Amino acid sequence: MSIYGPYEQSLSAVLTRVEQEIQQLNQQTLDDHQPKLYEHLIGRVKDPDSMVEKCHRKDYPVTTYAALRQCHDAVGVRLVCNFISDITRCLKQIRQADWCTVVKEKDYITNAKPNGYRSYHLILDVVAQFEDVDGHQPGHFYVEIQLRTIAMDSWASLEHELKYKHNIKNPERIGKELKRCADQLASCDVQMQTIRQLIQEG
Amino acid sequence: MRILLAEDEEQLARVLKMAMTSSDYTVDAVDNGQKAVDLAKENAYDVIILDIMMPVKDGITALKEIRESGNQTYVIMLTAMAEVDDRVNGLDSGADDYITKPFSLKELLARLRSLERRTTTSKQALHFDDLTLDSEEQVMESSNSISLTREETQMLAYLIRNAGKPLSPVAILDNVWGNEKADEEDVWINISYLRQKLSSIQSHAQIAGEKGGPYMLKE
Repeated sequence: MSIYGPYEQSLSAVLTRVEQEIQQLNQQTLDDHQPKLYEHLIGRVKDPDSMVEKCHRKDYPVTTYAALRQCHDAVGVRLVCNFISDITRCLKQIRQADWCTVVKEKDYITNAKPNGYRSYHLILDVVAQFEDVDGHQPGHFYVEIQLRTIAMDSWASLEHELKYKHNIKNPERIGKELKRCADQLASCDVQMQTIRQLIQEG
Repeated sequence: MRILLAEDEEQLARVLKMAMTSSDYTVDAVDNGQKAVDLAKENAYDVIILDIMMPVKDGITALKEIRESGNQTYVIMLTAMAEVDDRVNGLDSGADDYITKPFSLKELLARLRSLERRTTTSKQALHFDDLTLDSEEQVMESSNSISLTREETQMLAYLIRNAGKPLSPVAILDNVWGNEKADEEDVWINISYLRQKLSSIQSHAQIAGEKGGPYMLKE
């Protein structure tokens, strides 16, 4: 059995449920003749091996309890948006939703990480019919939502390559270039946002 | 700094070269205008000092040719005569400064130092409130950092240097775009970009002013 113990199936079910709820939020928005909330959505249950690695890295015990309670990203959904203002709209909808409670927010867009990483992270508490690791049924499940623009998403993919490639000759140099690139992408995002506003103001 | 000196009076050339070399400048000295044109094509100089009266090719003709080739290096003319027309002619042909002969060595060196100061200060970061502008890198920083375009960088530098003063769109247009084609609408769009970028890095600095200006940077 994996680090998720008997809960692996439940995690997949929770993921599907959250994906459907978010898709429905988008559908409602479209029905109200508003532009779509996001460009695309991807969800995943964190690979058990990666979860074990994370527990080691964070100095947590390698247990099902740590994976589901100390870590909050066993279930994760990423929303990739066209514009920064779309992220704000998504946030508003999710905070108001009745199928989840936001337990934590981390705004790495206004406070980018030193390496240039930008994204908005939410930790949701989702109640589902399954038993959870505390023995409650219906149970509580953590779901991490990442919201970012297409530019932030592409940048994160690039940075991911750097992080998992260990034979890079000059990582400092590449890191510096990535930071510069992040600043330029942020600049483009803000610029597109401004143009969009100018268009709407007429 | 690397300096090109064109002076045909052998003794003066030697004294000048020695003085500038001992001030830690790298000096290439030539004795006529044609050689100056040739060397200016070959090497990158920070300053070119041209005498006017020279054999083979005079300083003014050399200067014109240097400018026509697209070279924008800072040029100081050495004018032998205290003639106003001579200086006007030199400046209109593309010179940046002139020194009238006879001149004191001290003055020439002071001018070079002043020039050096100017070039380094324009590269130095500007600060306002919680904001830092790195014009070289075209980046501004507060709690976060973001890149700027050429226009935004220059506009913000102008606003910072004149913080607290209301600046008209015409003044901004002139400072940022110079002779380039642009209008007050460009000023407004770039003010809008800067405002959004300032708020995206959570700076306390604000640009006040409605569309049509005047605009003012304040805390």
